[in-house]
Amino acid sequence: MTEPNQENIARRQLLIRGAKAAASIAAAVGVARWLYDPKGPGAKNEEVGFLGTSVKGLPDFSVPRKNGQVISIVKGQDRAKTVNKAIELLGGIERFIKPGDVVVIKPNVGFATPPLLGATTHPDVITAVVKLCYEKKASRVIVTDNSINDPASCFTISGIRKAASAAGAQVVMPKNSYFSPLTLAGGVLIKDWPIYCAPFTKANKLIGIAPLKNHHRSAASMTMKNWYGLLGGRRNVFHQDINNIIAELAMLVKPTLVILDGTVTMMTNGPTGGSVSDLKKTNTMIASCDMVAADAFGSSLLNLKPADLPYLAIAEKAGVGTADYESLKPLRAEVT
Amino acid sequence: MQLLSGRARTLESAVGVLILLIMIATAVGIYFIQRDFNMARFGIASGQESQGDFTPVGKVETYNNDNLYEKIDGKAPMYQEAGFVKLTAQRFAAQSNSELGFELYVYDMNNAKNAFSVYSRQKRADATDLSDLGALAFGYVAGNEICISLGKNYIEMIGSAESNELVDGMKGIAKDLSAKFKPTDNDKIAELGYFPVEGTVAGSWKLQIDNAFGFDGLTNAYSAQYKSCEKTVSIFFSMRKNADEAKTVAKNYYDFLITNGAKAITVDSEILKSAGALVVDFYGSFEMVFPSGVFVGGVHEANDKQAAEKAAEVLIGRLKEIND
Repeated sequence: MTEPNQENIARRQLLIRGAKAAASIAAAVGVARWLYDPKGPGAKNEEVGFLGTSVKGLPDFSVPRKNGQVISIVKGQDRAKTVNKAIELLGGIERFIKPGDVVVIKPNVGFATPPLLGATTHPDVITAVVKLCYEKKASRVIVTDNSINDPASCFTISGIRKAASAAGAQVVMPKNSYFSPLTLAGGVLIKDWPIYCAPFTKANKLIGIAPLKNHHRSAASMTMKNWYGLLGGRRNVFHQDINNIIAELAMLVKPTLVILDGTVTMMTNGPTGGSVSDLKKTNTMIASCDMVAADAFGSSLLNLKPADLPYLAIAEKAGVGTADYESLKPLRAEVT
Repeated sequence: MQLLSGRARTLESAVGVLILLIMIATAVGIYFIQRDFNMARFGIASGQESQGDFTPVGKVETYNNDNLYEKIDGKAPMYQEAGFVKLTAQRFAAQSNSELGFELYVYDMNNAKNAFSVYSRQKRADATDLSDLGALAFGYVAGNEICISLGKNYIEMIGSAESNELVDGMKGIAKDLSAKFKPTDNDKIAELGYFPVEGTVAGSWKLQIDNAFGFDGLTNAYSAQYKSCEKTVSIFFSMRKNADEAKTVAKNYYDFLITNGAKAITVDSEILKSAGALVVDFYGSFEMVFPSGVFVGGVHEANDKQAAEKAAEVLIGRLKEIND
């Protein structure tokens, strides 16, 4: 009777083991379900906004519009001089920055490449703008970007960390906890998507500073495309619908001022470039309260027309700005 | 205590052995993949050992299709659409001058045509060709950068400064690379020899794997600059599966141009007429497309009609030779 007993024991053992395995799987599923957060990381911060007030999404950082002082275009090679002049033409930094303001500057620090290559915001512009903010007694200036590829290297090699720190700004690197899932009202793409929010919720002014570049996917990377850096998650999925995501980001972010640095323009092989052969001296600095107008003008430096950039029309239709920048009577100057 | 029957024990052992074998196979697979991460494979450096005047800085970075965008963001789709497999990157600093260095990018593009495609599409207008890399390699210097198409690999060396000293150092490494990582005969791109021998500007070849000239029906299109009537025009061809497909693609490309605002025009050339060439004025430039056996050929964005017609005639003759 040995064999039947062994078979009985084996069968019983099999059942016991099977039950244990099923219990383990059920426990794992239960724990996973318990830990699952349908809103993603940072959802609890969604309602925490600007200086403690409760807001949904990013705060509105814009200042009141003044007709005739919407966009300025300054020719010159010296970035410090041209950016100072461009802001002066719009009414001076005092129009944008008040004593005690907390200012966030959002450059393009997307790559760990030296300023020579023009793929990132030039540190000279950062230095000039940080100094201007402190001249008007800003209490704090933060320089930040969501550089996805090793932020420390990006900020260091681009020269932005050194320039910002030397001018007295605080350089903030991205962390997972700085992202909150946001939804753009009426948006199609930005729905519960992690957005780089935390550094902005502590500020009341936002200045975007972008280099002027060719872009393989969107034809151009300028002030509106600069907000792409706020996207968290696997943001490469938006490359398939690049025009709409750029337009939606421009609808989401309402900056105080944008600066488009066309001192040197990356004419080909953007957005990374790699060779100085991709660059052309275009000696132009643009400051604007209207991102659409700034980028529409910027397209001319890339030998494009505003109509070549579909995101401009989408954003204009959504009320973000005006693609017909000449209608805004740009203020022009040249500095030597 | 005997808990399991003999058959159950055997089965359990077999399952255990199978799992172990799978784990060993996985480990071996990881080893071979990781082995590719070693820059020594490319003759550049071994671990932290110096290579000539250059010392590796930081760790070797590797990217696949899932995370390539983390390194090159908006340019990732261009590589992925051309067959990208893997990117390996490493920074190097010059020992003799700490201000100088470069970043090496080695893109595994799966085959020589894919590598040549991304190489040729990004080639700078003011590039100076490197002539000493071997018959099957392509390379150039443009300012601070050296780019090479070497077998299945597309390689970039991006210098941190415009410096003759740095570029000379990078040229030495480019030469070492081409010697140690020689393309084989399988890497030869025979189609580059299909262009007219006389008149084609050497080194001007381009290969667009897909979406050539903005038309998604035109794939694997080779183009080159061609001297015609003292002007330079762009000529192209794409080899199709058969003559019928070539005719269909030529007609579809013509329809695409018309849909986008081109105006059909006539030509006087009997050669073009008999070849069934379709010619349009596209906002002031001339586009020509024709089937030729298994090829679709044509002229792209020519500013001069006479130069375009002559170039198309020569290309028709050349493709006929290849077909024959």
